Amino acid sequence: MRAVVAEETTDGELILRTRDGDRDAFEALYRRYARSVFGLALRRLGDRGRAEDAVQETFASVWRGARSYRPERGPGGPWIYAVARNAIVDRSRARSEPPVEAPEQQSQEAGPPARAEASWTAWRIHRALEELSPSERTVIELAYWSGLSQSEVSEYLGIPLGTVKTRTRAALARLADLLEEELR
Amino acid sequence: MTERPEFRELVGDDLSPGERARLERVHELLVTAGPPPELPPGLAEPPGESPGDSLIGLPRRRAGAMLALAAAIALVAFLGGYVAGRNGQGEGFSAIKTLQMHGKGAAEAASATIEIGGPDTSGNLPLRVVVHGLPPLQAGSYYEMFLTKHGKPIAACGIFTVGGRNATVPMTLPGTARGYDGWIVTREAPGGDTHPVVLTT
Repeated sequence: MRAVVAEETTDGELILRTRDGDRDAFEALYRRYARSVFGLALRRLGDRGRAEDAVQETFASVWRGARSYRPERGPGGPWIYAVARNAIVDRSRARSEPPVEAPEQQSQEAGPPARAEASWTAWRIHRALEELSPSERTVIELAYWSGLSQSEVSEYLGIPLGTVKTRTRAALARLADLLEEELR
Repeated sequence: MTERPEFRELVGDDLSPGERARLERVHELLVTAGPPPELPPGLAEPPGESPGDSLIGLPRRRAGAMLALAAAIALVAFLGGYVAGRNGQGEGFSAIKTLQMHGKGAAEAASATIEIGGPDTSGNLPLRVVVHGLPPLQAGSYYEMFLTKHGKPIAACGIFTVGGRNATVPMTLPGTARGYDGWIVTREAPGGDTHPVVLTT
């Protein structure tokens, strides 16, 4: 009989259960992190096909390498982030086409430390979004990335404007709780 | 690009200064992070019975398929130089290489076979794409086939529709085509801004 995975089960507990061959725990980790890993891989690799490969390699590594996780060293999220980053670096090294020629002018893009920090922040934000209830996540996604105004979100969802605002505020507050570390 | 949402419109004016500052910081993080990407259909579900094996197996399988495709393209390009020098290539269509495509997303049950014929006297390669199970299209929509590299469409091969979910579609590939590693078929609608992949090698 398969074990049940409660929503409040921590990432670390899921990794430990994955180590013991618990497929439900592994699938719960996949559902929590697949989008975040894919987003990270897309940002780093800039190619959907290779990003898909990186996601697959990440979770293969999670399955095979869960025994290397040490809960006393920290929570599970950063461990999965490190596994994903390694898979992405491997995928990046494996690319067959020649590197792009170095530009003559100095790049305006952020340097490696800033990029790493931005990647980690985006990872945490996207992971935190997965923690919201579907109704809260929907209003956030519509408000931030659909281009709709709050009135248009209200019309689109068929709920009163006040409810949209209440939900949006509650969702932001929940995200603030989840992202406490980033907000310090 | 999506417009940046107005924080005040989102939360109103009746927050305490402390809470307002806290939520505004989250607001800035959301704007900076941008939207999480949608998972492609192939990643929507966790992997099958043996995650370590199947997950590693897929890239290998894909790499193998890519090698096969690259070999096929190299082969037909080589044959282009040989056969083009001959007088004609016989009557009818004769495939020198066959490749399989499988359905994705809403067309998961679909499939197709790409038959690559020998080059004609101009060095172009006739293709015959035999499609099964593609969903019927709305008026004005069509399917489009592309050569791809690393999953990105690089060169269009042709457009088609289906009758009764099946179709046999003749197309042509330049014999000079090089460096591609796959094919996809997308569903297109006039003025549409999405191009869902319905078939892939």
